[in-house]
Amino acid sequence: MSQQNTNESNARADSSPDPTDDEMLIQTDVSGSVSSSGGPSRRETVVSAENINVWYGDDQALQDITMDIPEKSVTAMVGPSGCGKSTFLRCINRMNDLIDSARVEGDLYLRGKNVYDDDVDPVALRRRVGMVFQKPNPFPKSIYENVTYGLKIQDKGGDYDEIVEESLKRAALWDEVKDQLDESGLDLSGGQQQRLCIARAIAPDPEVLLMDEPASALDPVATSQIEDLIEELAQDYTVVIVTHNMQQAARISDQTAVFLTGGELVEFDDTQKIFENPESQRVEDYITGKFG
Amino acid sequence: MATETEHGEIEGFGQVSRTVGTVFRYLLIAATMFGIVTLAVLLVYVANDAIRPLTAGPGWYLTYFFTLVVPTLLVGAYVRTRDRAAFSFGVFLIGLLVVSLMFSGGVGLLVVDVVPPLVALSFALGLAVPAAVAVVLTRNSHRISFTTRLVATSLAFYLSLFGLPGPIGDAAGLPQVVPSFVQFVQSIPVIPVDWMMVAAVVGGGSAAAVGAYVAGVRDARSGLYAGLAAFAVSVASAVVGPFVGLNPVPAVVVTAVALVPTSTYAWRGAFGEDGTPIGLGFAATVVGGALVGAAAVEAFGFAGPQSWVDWQFLTSSHSGSAVDAGLYPAIGGSILLMSTVAALSFPLGVGAAVYLEEYAPDNALTRFVDVNISNLAGVPSVVYGLLGLGVFVTYLGQSAGTVLVGGATLALLILPIVIISSREAIRSVPSDLRQASYGMGATRWQTVRNVVLPEAFPGILTGTILALGRAIGETAPLIMIGAPNVVFSLPTALNSKVSAMPLQVYAWSSLFASEDFYTKAVPAGVVVLLAVLLAMNSVAIVLRNKFERTG
Ligand SMILES: Nc1ncnc2c1ncn2[C@@H]1O[C@H](COP(=O)(O)OP(=O)(O)O)[C@@H](O)[C@H]1O
Ligand SMILES: [Mg+2]
Repeated sequence: MSQQNTNESNARADSSPDPTDDEMLIQTDVSGSVSSSGGPSRRETVVSAENINVWYGDDQALQDITMDIPEKSVTAMVGPSGCGKSTFLRCINRMNDLIDSARVEGDLYLRGKNVYDDDVDPVALRRRVGMVFQKPNPFPKSIYENVTYGLKIQDKGGDYDEIVEESLKRAALWDEVKDQLDESGLDLSGGQQQRLCIARAIAPDPEVLLMDEPASALDPVATSQIEDLIEELAQDYTVVIVTHNMQQAARISDQTAVFLTGGELVEFDDTQKIFENPESQRVEDYITGKFG
Repeated sequence: MATETEHGEIEGFGQVSRTVGTVFRYLLIAATMFGIVTLAVLLVYVANDAIRPLTAGPGWYLTYFFTLVVPTLLVGAYVRTRDRAAFSFGVFLIGLLVVSLMFSGGVGLLVVDVVPPLVALSFALGLAVPAAVAVVLTRNSHRISFTTRLVATSLAFYLSLFGLPGPIGDAAGLPQVVPSFVQFVQSIPVIPVDWMMVAAVVGGGSAAAVGAYVAGVRDARSGLYAGLAAFAVSVASAVVGPFVGLNPVPAVVVTAVALVPTSTYAWRGAFGEDGTPIGLGFAATVVGGALVGAAAVEAFGFAGPQSWVDWQFLTSSHSGSAVDAGLYPAIGGSILLMSTVAALSFPLGVGAAVYLEEYAPDNALTRFVDVNISNLAGVPSVVYGLLGLGVFVTYLGQSAGTVLVGGATLALLILPIVIISSREAIRSVPSDLRQASYGMGATRWQTVRNVVLPEAFPGILTGTILALGRAIGETAPLIMIGAPNVVFSLPTALNSKVSAMPLQVYAWSSLFASEDFYTKAVPAGVVVLLAVLLAMNSVAIVLRNKFERTG
């Protein structure tokens, strides 16, 4: 990505309105979080989970998750498979609502508003939270239509050409596809498809970007491109990324949450602390590969 | 069974018996072949009776052998070894020409004998104008609210089709104040010549389709030019037609429905990106060979086969003597019935499928409906006939044996099949795409409209056409609802009596049973019915292949 892009991006982010005092007040006290070192956050909290419990039918997938995710940084969730990382991610934009058997209890605040309040429309919520999935899933439409999909369904006005260019530039894809915007998104390689999905997710300018193992279906080169991109995006967006790749979490994230089997959040702290000096023995064992 | 030496070295791996597997394999082949061969024998037998290839003279065969068969084989083999894709393009092109010629026959039948050109023109305009209004409104959707657009669009359609106050006023006993656009067109004192109106309707429709297609593969400007050129060609054909022995109206229809679309496709396949001109060469060899052969046979006076399926058979109605009997009213009846069936079963079936797949909660009622739709698909057609008779004729008081009642009954018959195949198509849309759409903050409707339906559409269409193929061969329900055995003219309205191809064949083999009808009219009718069925199914198969390649 060129320097120029970054400048543009910053300009756009700066122009977004600052959160009101109200919203700041609702920031929860970090002492509620599992971490004992005063929490990883020195930035403003964007997503704040309080005692989130999730069940699929009778099976509990998450137990009492409490954590604050700070803005404009990368928060990684790691842990063995089946420990509820994806489930937690789906709590943030209420994608769990689409699963019949899922039941969520607890509170989750997005910029101070509890998304599980009765007056929250999950569709409206999802318009402010971008999501990127494990398997690249562009629509079988043109690249242009893929990027403008969110704008179209939200009936957003604006200069679509400009937004498409800017989103693709931010997703580090513009140079590769600028001459084939009318061609199908499915004709791209896997890595390009995933970057297209990222461009699609950021085009409507969401508050938070959720990524569920976005690189796990990609080859090493594409993976490192996506990793660079994520670090770049964190300058403007709050990125929450699920990964089962420890090195990846260590490389790109600012703070790391370690989930362990049974759906509990064992430790949440600055990435450096987690990897160099974790509080919990179980986390240390997991990171050093003794189990999990 | 491996034999080992004392040092542990392997000397051989022995053999594993394959006898049972081999026997099983040949049994499977035999089972497969049994059905196919039996059916093939029957078809050959019927086709032999209908077309009577053995009545053609050796000169006829020799002529076609040298003009058509030999060039086709030589050029075909050459093209195939050079470029397989070009060969399949050529074959497809020939198929497209044949099928579109058959369709142009159907359309010609409609504009000549069913819908008067002025009525067709007035309704075409009456629908095109409000449709254009709707398109303009949708283009500006971000500026105009949804309700305003809905109201404006409905109003435009209502005014255009019914005028003020229209049927609402009729019900209240008010006189018509403003005539509808349709009535206005019909009341124009200077009536254009028939072929001009047909050219406007059919040529206009085909030009719009060609223009949209070219605009899709190239750009909007080329699309516009292609559309205009297509329209000009259709109009010109009416002038040229009489010089090659075609009346203006059929000339326009054949050009607009068959020649223009086929040449557009041929142009794209041959000269577009990755075009294969030799594929076009192959198609040209076959078509040219057939034409040259026909001219040569004519010139030398060689007698062709004395086929019962001939122009006379296709264009005349039933007669007491098998030699003069024809299928024309039944062909027209089948076309009208199929149009009615499609218009009724497609929206109902797709609607039900979308509801069941995307909206319905997974509860006892849904499962009950589920099971029963599968059961309904297996209910014998005669039962549907009884249902149609009971509901539409006895209960709703429609007169028996009309296009509307027949179409509605057959629509009920294939509704479960349409629902089941549409559901399958909808289910095969990857759930990843739905997730992506919901994740972007799309509502259920937006997801269905923008992601699910466009992806599932080719599959839905394929399923519907195959279901129509079932309806077109049905006899029992038509007998039950009192369709007449013999109709001497084409139905011209939804409430005129209708016959259909299978019903006519059935009548010939029962009411008029005689040696003559058995050996002449019946096989000829069966061959025409099967040809129409094959043409429909080939469209479905092409759609499905295209769908699978891109999907
Ligand atoms: N749609 C679902 N229905 C039922 N159980 C589910 C569903 N999705 C996930 N689970 C269960 O919830 C637990 C957590 O799953 P998930 O959040 O996908 O874990 P992770 O992403 O960490 O691998 C697993 O035990 C899994 O079997
Ligand atoms: Mg997961």
